[in-house]
Amino acid sequence: MLVLSRQRDESIMIGDNIVITIVDIRGDKVRLGINAPSEIPVHRQEVYEAIQRENLRASRLAPSDTQGIGRLANRGTSNGQPTPPASRGIEPR
Amino acid sequence: MRITTTRFGRIDVDGSDIITFHSGLPGLEGCREWALLADSSNDALGWLQCTTRGDVALAVVSPRRFVPDYSVRIPRSELTPLAIDDLREAQVVVVVGRTGKKLTLNLKAPIVINLEARTGRQVVASGDLPLQFVLCSEQPPLKKSA
Repeated sequence: MLVLSRQRDESIMIGDNIVITIVDIRGDKVRLGINAPSEIPVHRQEVYEAIQRENLRASRLAPSDTQGIGRLANRGTSNGQPTPPASRGIEPR
Repeated sequence: MRITTTRFGRIDVDGSDIITFHSGLPGLEGCREWALLADSSNDALGWLQCTTRGDVALAVVSPRRFVPDYSVRIPRSELTPLAIDDLREAQVVVVVGRTGKKLTLNLKAPIVINLEARTGRQVVASGDLPLQFVLCSEQPPLKKSA
């Protein structure tokens, strides 16, 4: 791993379009400013990893698991909008 | 396009049903094209079926139908790749998961879809929202962010 020392308000460039700036340092907390093109997602690592795990877990859900989900919906607050707006219906096996 | 799926058998999907996730989804980075399908046995539920992997599908719902006080704040930088300025122009769905016997909703990382451009992105919402919001018949109020 490349390790660089920086002071407040100093920056690091990654490639020619990502700039990471040390905005503030307080105790053991560092605030970073990140300038990156919008197509490059920037995430806190632990949040991203938790979302990865949750997506993988959710991708194993079977249609039979979701039976009865309609009963959990708050029909009173539905604005009559179909959910979601897919045009094609499918029948689970 | 005809795709063979483990859940729904062989299905025909129109190009207009396909939504492109240019960055994939976290954990499913290779899955970029998904068909948005309505579950004919349950009008509250939809499925995002990966068109290239028949075994990968995500159950999705409109969060407000289940969590009326869910108000999602998404950094603008997360929406610019979708060419959306305002969330009202987009369809927001959340992924259904399961923990034990309970169904859960991922309120932290909703999926935002630009229906006109047929592009989508799973974004990280601001604030303290659960990845596994447990659905039960008696809904407790959603914990407010600090």
